[in-house]
Amino acid sequence: MADITLTAAPILGLDLTLGANTLRERDDLALVSVATPQGGEDALAKALKAGFKLAMPEPTRSTQAGDTHAIRTAADQMLLVFPHDGPDANTMVQGKLKGAGYTTDQTDVWVVIEASGPDTLAALERLCPLDLHDSAFPVGASARTVMEHMGAMILRMDADRFLLLSASSSAGSFAHALETSYKNVI
Amino acid sequence: MRLSGGLIDRGQTLKFRWNDTWLKGHAGDTLASALVANDVKLVGRSFKYHRPRGIFSAGAEEPNALVQLRKGAAQEPNTRATVAELYEGLTATSQNHRGSLAWDLMSANDLLSPFLSAGFYYKTFMWPRAFWEKIYEPVIRASAGLGSLSGKADPDLYDHGYLHCDLLVIGAGPAGLTAARTAAQSGLRVIIADEDFLPGGRLNSETYEVDGQDGPGWAAATASELQGMDNVRLMTRTTVYGSFDSGVYGALERMTDHLADSGSKPRQVLWRIYAKRALLAAGATERSIAFGNNDRPGLMLSGAVRTYANRFAASPGQRVAVFTNNDDGWRTAQDLTAKGVTIAALIDTRADAPDSDDFRVYKGRAVADTKGRRGLKSITLENGTQVECDALAIAGGWSPNVHLTCHHRGRPVWREDIAAFVPGTDLPPGMSVAGAANGAMTLAAALKSGHEAARTIASDLGHAARGTLPQASDEQFAITPFWHVKSSKARAWVDLQNDVTTKDIKQSHTEGFRAVEHLKRYTTLGMATDQGKTSNVLGLAIMAEASGKSIPETGTTIFRPPYTPVPIGALAGRARGKDFRPFRLTPSHKWAKENGADFVETGMWLRAQWFKRPGEKGWRDSVDREVEMTRSGVGICDVTTLGKIDIQGRDAAEFLNRIYANPFAKVPVGKVRYGLMLREDGVCYDDGTTARLSENHFVMTTTTANAVTVFRNMEFARQCLWPDLDVHLISTTDGWAQFAVAGPKSRALLQKVVDIDLSNEAFPFMACGECKAFGTPARLFRISFSGELAYEIAVPARYGDSMIRALMQAGEEFDAVPYGTEALGVMRIEKGHAAGNELTGQTTAHQLGMGKMVSLKKDAIGTVLSQRPEMIRDDDLRLVGFKPVDKGAKLDAGAHFLTKGDPEDMAHDQGWMTSVAYSPELGHSIGLGYLKRGADRMGEVVRAYDPVRGKDTAVEVCSAHHIDPEGERQRG
Repeated sequence: MADITLTAAPILGLDLTLGANTLRERDDLALVSVATPQGGEDALAKALKAGFKLAMPEPTRSTQAGDTHAIRTAADQMLLVFPHDGPDANTMVQGKLKGAGYTTDQTDVWVVIEASGPDTLAALERLCPLDLHDSAFPVGASARTVMEHMGAMILRMDADRFLLLSASSSAGSFAHALETSYKNVI
Repeated sequence: MRLSGGLIDRGQTLKFRWNDTWLKGHAGDTLASALVANDVKLVGRSFKYHRPRGIFSAGAEEPNALVQLRKGAAQEPNTRATVAELYEGLTATSQNHRGSLAWDLMSANDLLSPFLSAGFYYKTFMWPRAFWEKIYEPVIRASAGLGSLSGKADPDLYDHGYLHCDLLVIGAGPAGLTAARTAAQSGLRVIIADEDFLPGGRLNSETYEVDGQDGPGWAAATASELQGMDNVRLMTRTTVYGSFDSGVYGALERMTDHLADSGSKPRQVLWRIYAKRALLAAGATERSIAFGNNDRPGLMLSGAVRTYANRFAASPGQRVAVFTNNDDGWRTAQDLTAKGVTIAALIDTRADAPDSDDFRVYKGRAVADTKGRRGLKSITLENGTQVECDALAIAGGWSPNVHLTCHHRGRPVWREDIAAFVPGTDLPPGMSVAGAANGAMTLAAALKSGHEAARTIASDLGHAARGTLPQASDEQFAITPFWHVKSSKARAWVDLQNDVTTKDIKQSHTEGFRAVEHLKRYTTLGMATDQGKTSNVLGLAIMAEASGKSIPETGTTIFRPPYTPVPIGALAGRARGKDFRPFRLTPSHKWAKENGADFVETGMWLRAQWFKRPGEKGWRDSVDREVEMTRSGVGICDVTTLGKIDIQGRDAAEFLNRIYANPFAKVPVGKVRYGLMLREDGVCYDDGTTARLSENHFVMTTTTANAVTVFRNMEFARQCLWPDLDVHLISTTDGWAQFAVAGPKSRALLQKVVDIDLSNEAFPFMACGECKAFGTPARLFRISFSGELAYEIAVPARYGDSMIRALMQAGEEFDAVPYGTEALGVMRIEKGHAAGNELTGQTTAHQLGMGKMVSLKKDAIGTVLSQRPEMIRDDDLRLVGFKPVDKGAKLDAGAHFLTKGDPEDMAHDQGWMTSVAYSPELGHSIGLGYLKRGADRMGEVVRAYDPVRGKDTAVEVCSAHHIDPEGERQRG
């Protein structure tokens, strides 16, 4: 069927301005999970350094090299977040890690929303059960949590800029919850 | 009447409506203070006897002044006028009366009071039994009760939120403000919450000095200092209503209740506060003294009279009498005198009370009765002396607000010197108590206890304690307990809101209901919306007297959250209507909506259940067509909702071999296998297929309903049961848009789509592999739920919408149809596949006819217990098929099977019908069900007996595989 090709669509196409804040879907980012093989911690750390210049992230923290973030998501698992176009992010990561980790493409599993602006912390207070105070959740901190009954991940990019991840199937409900939070506090 | 001074803003006059009258108040007033200033005495009717009642307190403890606020859908009943902040245009109406407030027809109840005493429900309405629901209860409900609901949906918004701090200070009175400042200066992250809109607590009601400043001035300056610190969050209009596990506190913040227009913002926010430490500085509540007719409008707690006079510049009367058993009542008389209000008399129960030059003092005397139906006119002392007055301030002593200390079942302890309960030693973890809540009843003591508590907490949390102690002096505080005037002949009220009298309490004792919990339930003491804040201790004291015990021996009832009422709307937050829970949408949702899909909720998913075409009258038309066209051509169904779990690791195969009951260790790469999962107890709980994509890489499919459960169970197994295995799991359910393509023409269609050879030889039944679909990386599985030649094809979810459109376009030449979950269900029933209806939580592999699949050569979860004798009996239920003897008959799921000739009772029950469908291919209704010894009863006619629907249908037992029992189609 040479005459038909598939086109990728963003999940929501979300791009909202709420007062001085923005909510934007980041469909330019790819997500690939990397699980550490038993006994392969050192090898993976080396491969991650060599392939991405990234250090292994500690629990509730992320590491960053250029545009690439590594978020610790479980005892033996991290999530790589990086700008990438096309459905071959997993292949690319596999190529760089050379078998040092088990990788799974997670790009389409999650919706990634960048929430930023001066009211962001106040909006997240209505949604996120975690303590996001600088002293507890500084820039670079990351965590898995639940927001409005939906599983979520949160990564602090800046003082008032966060990446929020939640299941792509319920992305509409998640975005609605976020938008409502901003509207309730602005 | 309005006095001079006060903390109200006289520059801002606010008009408000009370019943049919427009009145004026000022910014800074509560509804209650504005009513007091306007000389409104009668504000409501009591719960049971419809007695006229007036404002009794100035705070959250108010038992009488319950009103309905606002109008229309926003109407809120049972709101305490004492905490309702006045705003321009506020509308309030009195409640619990028929006819006008002044002429309540239901006040006839008061004449019937001899029949309505404690326990009257239990005695009066016992007989005849049938009358209860139809007559007694409706009549009681109509005559008793509080305000009324609008009956309309609440138009306001509510929200939830989460806060975190080192120290939560509950109450912004002198102790709380001092503690918050000390803690904040020591570097703690502090939240200080107060239910009032003005921080300061009693400082705003009294005429004290702190650090050389007047009390309200010091409170305002301290609050402002706290507000300026970035490690402090000062929350006014916020009630911390409960202490929960792990340092979690519930708080209700009233965001817009004080505004005429909420501006489309949430009216209230329910906060969950995570606090490392909490300091309860909730102050104390004054209590009454029981004497004859002590419930008339014009009778008010003494501290409340001071609040109205000092803070709100309003007096409940022009000639005020004071009745006290302690020094506090004297302050009321002094403050009122200073404001120019005449003190008619001060009656002190203590014989050694001091004298006064300003007013008449009766020492060692008590008030025995009062007069004035809709407003106090005079009081009568025990000795018969009558004193003309239009208000009476009652000072019965103060009870520390220990409520939150008891939310984890701690018990307060009695302190004789202050005649009050104080917090015990078994506080909720992390909580300490300061100020009057802890029995520090005087100002300097309260400031000191707040300051010291904060310093201790700061040190505990590793901070150097800083801050200075504010200076103030201690006022006189002496009390001689005096609970009720025994010589009173008239009824003496204890619980004003629930109309409980001293006589009721004594009667409860006489009739044997002597334990406090019994007393509470028999008399309803403390069970009203105010939870007995002004009456509990008084009630206990009278019970103690009756039983000859001490108050601590008598004990208290337990305090539970919430401290004050929390609206249901606030508890619900945003979770209303369509926002009650999240929705999950499939990648083809938009396309399905455009193409006539009717959606059904399956868990949180919205799935297309059928696609309506022009001319189709009912759902059956659509479903029959979808089944027929799939079975004769090709149909496409979005099956993205099935759980997908990516399983990788050197030991992935071994792991799956232990998870599934059937063998999995040797599944070849490029193959899919059906698997059955058992619980530890051997019962089947999920099934699905798992594909081996490479040596160390599998993709599991679970049922939609169990996707999370299976993942969780496997994660538990991986982490806890077999941590030595190298295996890693991650969900990819949402990552792939997966479509079933089924029917004899599915191969022809897909061969146009993918770049691999789909011939039976190259890609046989149960094959799987990675390929490209329309040039995009895809996964292809040759599996069949419908029983037809079928595939499932998956592409990354972002291509899902494009994929369904492309598949339909490519399928045009084959008359491809989309089909929904109903057609999916019909085809699986025709094929005899078990689904949710068949997996009951008690289902064994044996019953499903899959007993032999359970491998006994390995140890998988549930294997051992699945072999218990009861679970492998040959005469047990078996999943079989059914068809009606009369082909026109419609079968119903839920019908029970009976052997012909047997009576219709449970002893002869032979099983039940689990799933039914109309089979377009067979042209009649078919069913699946469990039948005892079903496999041995092929061809037998049994009764499908359905007393619920009144049906009794003769059905023939047949194979569950109604069509293509040999499975030739799917292998073709």
